[in-house]
Amino acid sequence: MAHPSPKRFPDDSYYTETSDIQAETETVLLKHLPADPNSLPSLQKNQHLQFLVRHLVQGFPSRYASQDASQPWLLYWTLQGLSVAGVGLDPDNKQRAIDTILAWQHPDGGFSGGPGQAAHLLPTYGSICSLAIAGRPGPGGGWDQIDREKMYKFFMSLKQPDGSFLVAHHAEVDVRGTYCLLVSAYLLDLLTPELVEGTAAFIASCQTYEGGFSSASQPYFSPTSDGQPNLLESPRPSLGEAHGGYTFCSVASWVMLQPFLALQPPDVRRPTINYRTLVRWLTQMQGSESELGGFKGRTNKLVDGCYSWWVAGCFSLLASQGIGGGQGHDTRQSGSTTDDETWDDVDDSLWNRTALQQYILCAGQHPNGGLRDKPPKVADAYHTLYCLAGLSAAQHNVFPSPARRAELQHAWATSTDSPHHELRQTVFAEALSWTEEEGTSNVEGGHINRVNATHPLFNLTITHSEGIMAHFYHQTLPKRQRRG
Amino acid sequence: MAIEEEQSILFAERPEWADVTPLAQYENINPVAPIFYTNEYKDAADYFRGIVNAGEMSPRVLELTEKIIRMNPAHYSAWQYRYKTLMALKSPLDVELHLMDEIAVKYLKTYQVWHHRRLIVTQTRNPGPELAFIAKSLQADTKNYHTWSYRQWILAYFNDDELWDAELPFVEEMLENDLRNNSAWHHRFFVVFQAGVRKGDEDRDEVIRRELGFVKQSISVAPNNASAWNYLRGILDHNGTPYSDLQTFVNPYSVPHTLEETAEGVVDLENPLPSKESHLPAVAAIEFMADIYEKEGGDSLMKATELWKSLANEHDTIRKKYWEYRIREACQKVTT
Ligand SMILES: [Zn+2]
Repeated sequence: MAHPSPKRFPDDSYYTETSDIQAETETVLLKHLPADPNSLPSLQKNQHLQFLVRHLVQGFPSRYASQDASQPWLLYWTLQGLSVAGVGLDPDNKQRAIDTILAWQHPDGGFSGGPGQAAHLLPTYGSICSLAIAGRPGPGGGWDQIDREKMYKFFMSLKQPDGSFLVAHHAEVDVRGTYCLLVSAYLLDLLTPELVEGTAAFIASCQTYEGGFSSASQPYFSPTSDGQPNLLESPRPSLGEAHGGYTFCSVASWVMLQPFLALQPPDVRRPTINYRTLVRWLTQMQGSESELGGFKGRTNKLVDGCYSWWVAGCFSLLASQGIGGGQGHDTRQSGSTTDDETWDDVDDSLWNRTALQQYILCAGQHPNGGLRDKPPKVADAYHTLYCLAGLSAAQHNVFPSPARRAELQHAWATSTDSPHHELRQTVFAEALSWTEEEGTSNVEGGHINRVNATHPLFNLTITHSEGIMAHFYHQTLPKRQRRG
Repeated sequence: MAIEEEQSILFAERPEWADVTPLAQYENINPVAPIFYTNEYKDAADYFRGIVNAGEMSPRVLELTEKIIRMNPAHYSAWQYRYKTLMALKSPLDVELHLMDEIAVKYLKTYQVWHHRRLIVTQTRNPGPELAFIAKSLQADTKNYHTWSYRQWILAYFNDDELWDAELPFVEEMLENDLRNNSAWHHRFFVVFQAGVRKGDEDRDEVIRRELGFVKQSISVAPNNASAWNYLRGILDHNGTPYSDLQTFVNPYSVPHTLEETAEGVVDLENPLPSKESHLPAVAAIEFMADIYEKEGGDSLMKATELWKSLANEHDTIRKKYWEYRIREACQKVTT
């Protein structure tokens, strides 16, 4: 055998349900290691594209009826999967997609899980991101048919006194909703101080003692002399343990709230999160060699392909806050292009990018096309996107470029007396300053395995993010200057 | 059973539904990415859209929404409309909860199942029976995220001392079943440290001693249990206790099994030793010792660096980048 057999999970000869399924899973995963460690399987792009196109054009089999209330997600996973794989739609399917998405818009604002369903923050994200990919300005293009005013009212109607949001009327509070709302507000130029007041404190309260974030927290109130309830700073216990999906939503929300926090008067107390425990927890989620380097979503749970994005996707978000490596280097700032070689082998990130690619390529691909949680499971639309997006996060370093930010701020062309002018400008420049670092991509298994970079906050390509934001902020983007 | 028979008859074929105009999902467009529904699902969903469009809230809406929920428990609009209808009709909520007992067990993994209970219990204000029901559900799925969060919500929202009384024994039972169940560890942290001071726990030093004793014992049984180590760090961070207080306990776990350790007769109850069958050194113990040395600073920083290197190159190679980052960070702190 060419492989030294990787060290297995240390069960301490003390067996519980957790260690039993862990051992079973490792046994299955290790069978997917290639005999020659230097030759990884290639990404079966054609088969994955066929899998995605079949869903888009023909449809989803009846077992997907369980996602009848997530139709915008099914479309988003499919469209964004195609975008990451480098494929665009023909005009006819684009128009069909736009018409379908508009059928999900709720008459009272926001988008629904399907026609005639109630508006909900999660499908609102799915719909807007799908429109970022397939839509365009003008009549029938989808973008100008979004009722932004009603959407804003819908958002405000979900807001809770602790800064959190219900995901829909009569529904639960959940950081996924906060994330989906913030991305929608970012893309459509809807962010106001009123909308996000208190939200950062809510996000911070979801961080658990482990370092990752939970789904929500429980606010406590005390009555004041005038009978109004007064939100207490503590305790605001997190409901549920640290979890990969909620952690991504929380960290991305945290980053998106920074422009608002930065404009607060200095005497306002800013909520904080613990980056030290967060970094530790995130890196702990990467499975060992016997798990092929995939990511898990909670302590003592199994690796799963979708956490390739939810957990590994957090590292570039952290880097944007100055935490860990991978802050990126502006090619033009250094004033010289002679030290290329030093960048090429600088991988100062905090996690094992090579191992994650191995997991996705060896265990994540289903032989019949599409990607999955882990073998022997079947592929599905959700895991196909998040495995591909995770692969993208492992291959590329996307970072907020100070040079690009300056260009965007300089080119900003909106009268300074428009409401919340400074906040909107900052949001725009921060969001679009994310840039793929040149010359540092790390593609395992050869160039054929390369997928497109994706925006760390939105999970859209940089091009799609730029297109829709330039439209809604009424800006003309300065050209990106490419090296050499 | 009557309900089984009814299920086979489509709403479109039932005379008592003839006054409702079913609404097809898409009109005049040829949607992308359509789902191929079964006839039964499509029929119920068309009538649901018809009902919502007409704004009807009547007992038969409860029948229709139940039908949809049983085919697709994630249909949040059906849940939402069902709730509004229950409220409008002033339906008996204990009946609803009884129905939910059965549905919840079937569809444990669905958000909406638990949220609907929450809405109902907020109305009935009778959380008592919920804890037993949750405990039963957790037997079937011991790490179910929604079930655990629902339990935490019940405790925090009603904040009634009687509800809290048996929580610690409950957690211990769950951990006895599976000492690696991180959901149970998180629940323990919630109960002990996160939701205010409970009855009998007023002496905080005593509480910390008790928790340290518990977690040390757990680590000695299975030294490579990440959940227990995270709990230990959680206790220390939450209470501002220096990690070095635990040095005597942790050190034997950070090295291979030794002879003294197996010598009979030396029993330090404060610092239980690793079980004989355990896999040492435990990565989490090496990491913990390195944290102690880093904090000490000075010459100890060398010792920390050595430990991080051993993690990076031998004991925890997948996290090589992280351990190298820890070395960089620690060195930077010294030079700046
Ligand atoms: Zn998954």
